[in-house]
Amino acid sequence: MLREVSGIAGPLALLGEAIDEISSRRRLVRYLVQADMKKRGSDTLLGNLWWILDPLLQMVVYVVFVTIIARRPAPDYPLFIFAAVLPWKWFTSVVGDATTSVVGQGSLIRQIAFPKIVLPIASATAGVVGFAWGLLALIAIMLAFADRISPMLLWIPVIAAVQYVFSVAAAIFVSAANVFFRDLGNVAGHVLRLWWFLSPSLYSLSQLDNLSIIREHPTLRTIAGMNPFAVLFEAYRAVIYGTPDGGHPVAPNLASLLVLLVASIVLVGLAAIFFKRLEPDFAKVL
Amino acid sequence: MPTPVVPRAPEAAEPHPAILTEGLGVEYNLRFSRKRTIRESVANVVLRRPPVRFWALRHVSLRVAHGESLGIIGPNGAGKSTLLQVLAGIMRPSEGSVEVRGRVSGLLTLGAGFDQELSGRENILLGGAFLGLDDKVTRELLPGIVAFADLGDFIEAPIKTYSSGMRARLGFAIATAVDPDILLLDEVLATGDATFREKSKGRVIQLVQQAKAVVLVTHDMNWVTEYCNRAILIEKGNVVIEGDPEDVVAVYRQHTEEARAKKEEAARAAGVDPLVAPKAMPAPASGSGTAGRARRNPAP
Repeated sequence: MLREVSGIAGPLALLGEAIDEISSRRRLVRYLVQADMKKRGSDTLLGNLWWILDPLLQMVVYVVFVTIIARRPAPDYPLFIFAAVLPWKWFTSVVGDATTSVVGQGSLIRQIAFPKIVLPIASATAGVVGFAWGLLALIAIMLAFADRISPMLLWIPVIAAVQYVFSVAAAIFVSAANVFFRDLGNVAGHVLRLWWFLSPSLYSLSQLDNLSIIREHPTLRTIAGMNPFAVLFEAYRAVIYGTPDGGHPVAPNLASLLVLLVASIVLVGLAAIFFKRLEPDFAKVL
Repeated sequence: MPTPVVPRAPEAAEPHPAILTEGLGVEYNLRFSRKRTIRESVANVVLRRPPVRFWALRHVSLRVAHGESLGIIGPNGAGKSTLLQVLAGIMRPSEGSVEVRGRVSGLLTLGAGFDQELSGRENILLGGAFLGLDDKVTRELLPGIVAFADLGDFIEAPIKTYSSGMRARLGFAIATAVDPDILLLDEVLATGDATFREKSKGRVIQLVQQAKAVVLVTHDMNWVTEYCNRAILIEKGNVVIEGDPEDVVAVYRQHTEEARAKKEEAARAAGVDPLVAPKAMPAPASGSGTAGRARRNPAP
């Protein structure tokens, strides 16, 4: 085993290195995910119960909020919102955990040479477990709207897989950026909140067509449709809730999901290159 | 055969040493290591502050052969730990080159890096995964590590319940159990009780004898003269002298004496000026520096 260091590798070499590191350290990712699960379970009362209750409570807040403001929300509105609340909770918790994933292991990074990229990957992967628990909340609420239960629900893992790839890119990016800008967490909170309201979370994408600003600037409608969470929310909503006019569940728009998947894979690559470029300086800064 | 000490004639050494560095330098950018929020970075750009840089280490050319034990000594902040971090592959040098042959292991500060919530056993498995060991290998090493660390039933308890000595023992046991070709140790011989210190000394000597290279940072001069066959003195990021441990330690002792004398002189120079303190004392509490003192002696 010979290690030689001199010069800086090009972006493609960095990407290859990152792929190599992740595939050779799958076990480490698994242990980190297990450690994370164990900590969450033992630290809080009833551990995973919060993963079930939290989206439900958040849904109640938005239902109250929208019912007061809009007065005439879509039929079965709780389910309409829940289809967006659940995946969003997953994404925000991944971004939150990933932000501190590298910084939190500062003492280890200063002691052992290991591929740091496993840390955000572990954060993103641990989020899948939380999301899986959240699906229990979905089952609970589906029982209240039993007539909307359909085989279309089986699309959820496919949509979730696309979201996972996208969240890995976000996790890698924020984990590295936070090493150099420690107040990133503060900024991220506001960016995420704005992102949530700009995404078709409380409304459907087609409702945007009623807005005068959208009618005057059709490009805004196109931009809104390119939002990754527009694609994801619409897809989740199609299979869980149904069409925006209150119709029954349908298959998601597979073309847009495929585009998002390809774009997310490219983003993961770019984020990995970004991460690998900054990685050598981690030990100096932490 | 006497211990091979080859400080001035690297050409005569083996063609593939365990560690070879040439003109190694590590530069820190203090803008990133100190001011690290978006707010401050924006302020830096707006106010056109120049980046503050300094060399923690420069022009370090080293050669460590297999079977050698190199002691690194020097005052605090000289760059000793930075050098170990570069050798461990934790930090990339800003200039020069490093060549390291073989599996490197080293816990630079033992005990940190453990996951407080996990048990000793889980930390061993996690530590092995961090070090890049195959899981099967770690599981094979596990009984040996547990025995060496001598933790008893505590091995199943979370690390947060451990004493600092137990943590150090576990860290040392993991670091040396992986059978490294090159062992990097930073101030580890000072931790633990007397019994464990003896045991760890024995283990390091054993590793040195197994033709493994050891690089060790320590303030324990006796260890350097007794067990290292070569030593370097680092001051302000530069290698001041390299050679026989006895000579290097002598130079270091001399330098510390000089530094202490200089400091004492400076203190005396500052201390003999008796006019400074009494003048500042009765002044009204306007300056921030004297505010506390003035308040403690309120005027009647």
